[in-house]
Amino acid sequence: MSQQDQLPASTTGQPPGMPAGVPARPGWLLFTASAPGAAHRGVALPNQDAVGSQGDPGLAAAEPLAVAVADGHGDLRHFRSARGSRLAVDVACALARDLGAQVAGASTAEAARVQLTVWLLPRIVRGWLTAVAEDVAGDPFSSEEAGHRRPGDDPVIAYGSTLLVVLLAGRWLLLAQIGDGDILVVEADGRAAAPVPPDPSIHGSYTTSLCQSGALSLFRVAVIDQGELPVGAILLATDGFGNAQAVEPWHQAVGADLLAFVRDRGAGWVGEQLPGWAARCASAQGSGDDTTLALLVRGVPGGRP
Amino acid sequence: MTISQGATIMPGGGISRRPLHFIVLADCSGSMRGEKMQALNFAIAEMLPNLIAWEQEQEKAQILVRVVAFADTPRWHVEEPVPVARLRWKALQHVERGRTNMGPAFRMVAAALSPERLERRALQPALLLVTDGLPTDPPGQFEAGLAALLALPAGRAAVRLAVAIGRDANSEALNRFIADPQVPVLVADSTDQIADRLVTASIALSRMSEVGVDRDALATQLLRPPAQAGRGHPDEESIV
Repeated sequence: MSQQDQLPASTTGQPPGMPAGVPARPGWLLFTASAPGAAHRGVALPNQDAVGSQGDPGLAAAEPLAVAVADGHGDLRHFRSARGSRLAVDVACALARDLGAQVAGASTAEAARVQLTVWLLPRIVRGWLTAVAEDVAGDPFSSEEAGHRRPGDDPVIAYGSTLLVVLLAGRWLLLAQIGDGDILVVEADGRAAAPVPPDPSIHGSYTTSLCQSGALSLFRVAVIDQGELPVGAILLATDGFGNAQAVEPWHQAVGADLLAFVRDRGAGWVGEQLPGWAARCASAQGSGDDTTLALLVRGVPGGRP
Repeated sequence: MTISQGATIMPGGGISRRPLHFIVLADCSGSMRGEKMQALNFAIAEMLPNLIAWEQEQEKAQILVRVVAFADTPRWHVEEPVPVARLRWKALQHVERGRTNMGPAFRMVAAALSPERLERRALQPALLLVTDGLPTDPPGQFEAGLAALLALPAGRAAVRLAVAIGRDANSEALNRFIADPQVPVLVADSTDQIADRLVTASIALSRMSEVGVDRDALATQLLRPPAQAGRGHPDEESIV
């Protein structure tokens, strides 16, 4: 899928012949959309966001599902950040899904958290660095690209990206994030929150990044036991979405509206709207920044399509 | 939920551009009386259309203006952030025998840029200091005020420029406020040049606030002294 263009909305997890938006069983519906930022188009920068998933959303009740979004940095110093974000999403989703079965068997939230922080995140960082090194080896920097590097820059700086990843495994919902963006968790009753702790060092156009030394220590995480906290929807968004919201804080209003839309208009309708919402946030009336959304909606048997 | 133009229904409370707080710290000490203050008021009024034009040209930020007037003590001349297109300039007044105490002004700006008060989604702010004199703060006050400003993430990240009215005002203190060796103090040798310097500063501040730009290169390009640049201030053609 090209990152240059607006990504189409996708609905996965449906068996053949089922209308989009109708859950076959109590699993999850996944919708994604991405739109290039108006400010990026103005300076001929591509859409540097990426989104991806591994696993079958419809089977998430039994099988692990990993979903990730990433935002490649816009500064010219990070001239290969579109590749960096794509590599981040691919590496994170593959590794997270590998961990899923193990996490699903965790008996406590603390045990699940340890698997996330001790097993998964170090592998994601190492895997991303390896993938970047391979990419540079296979396609060395051109002289024009090299002109954007600062003295002493490690090649990995060129690939700088954030990463937001969610793993659904059994009763556990694992969230991990480095850099800006938001993971919004909406409870079944419409209450919404961003469980991943904020990072006070992120402000203005500055963010933490996979390309920093010590990136592992910059991840923030959260673990949710769905047995205790029934989750209705999860939204992963690059910062183009949150930075476009006129009202702060916006999490509760957005979360409650999303769930109301699903209830009143159907998940399929929400999925159809997602590209338009991303495009509006990315427009000159919004953040002007690349905007990428991955929305997971819990399916309800007999729910409105 | 929000129903926007074109009947697109969106979750949440609507969208808007990211705020870019543009704060002017204006010297209103006693030495600014008369022609200098008139020229400064004229210059700020001249600067606003340039900011409005930039806001319309780019596709990310909404400029919100505030102004601190400082002498012995600082006070907000424009306290609430006002969208630049809506700002109706009300003339600054000098303070009779007022001194040029900058430290408290920095503290006032720092309070406005604290994480508790600054929007999470705000772009790095732009700060413009205009003065005709050296700081007259009691010992340690200038440094403490500047340290309070630079201790904040937003204060540290802010694009900071200074305009000195008169060669004598081009002090090391202003360079410490800017804290970037690539960014020179803009000097207005006469009151006639104040408007030119503020226009230059506003263009530089806005352009340096854009995403993906090389601030140092831009500063070199836009803020060269007139003698090197060959003209009073960069025209629109010179801004990439």
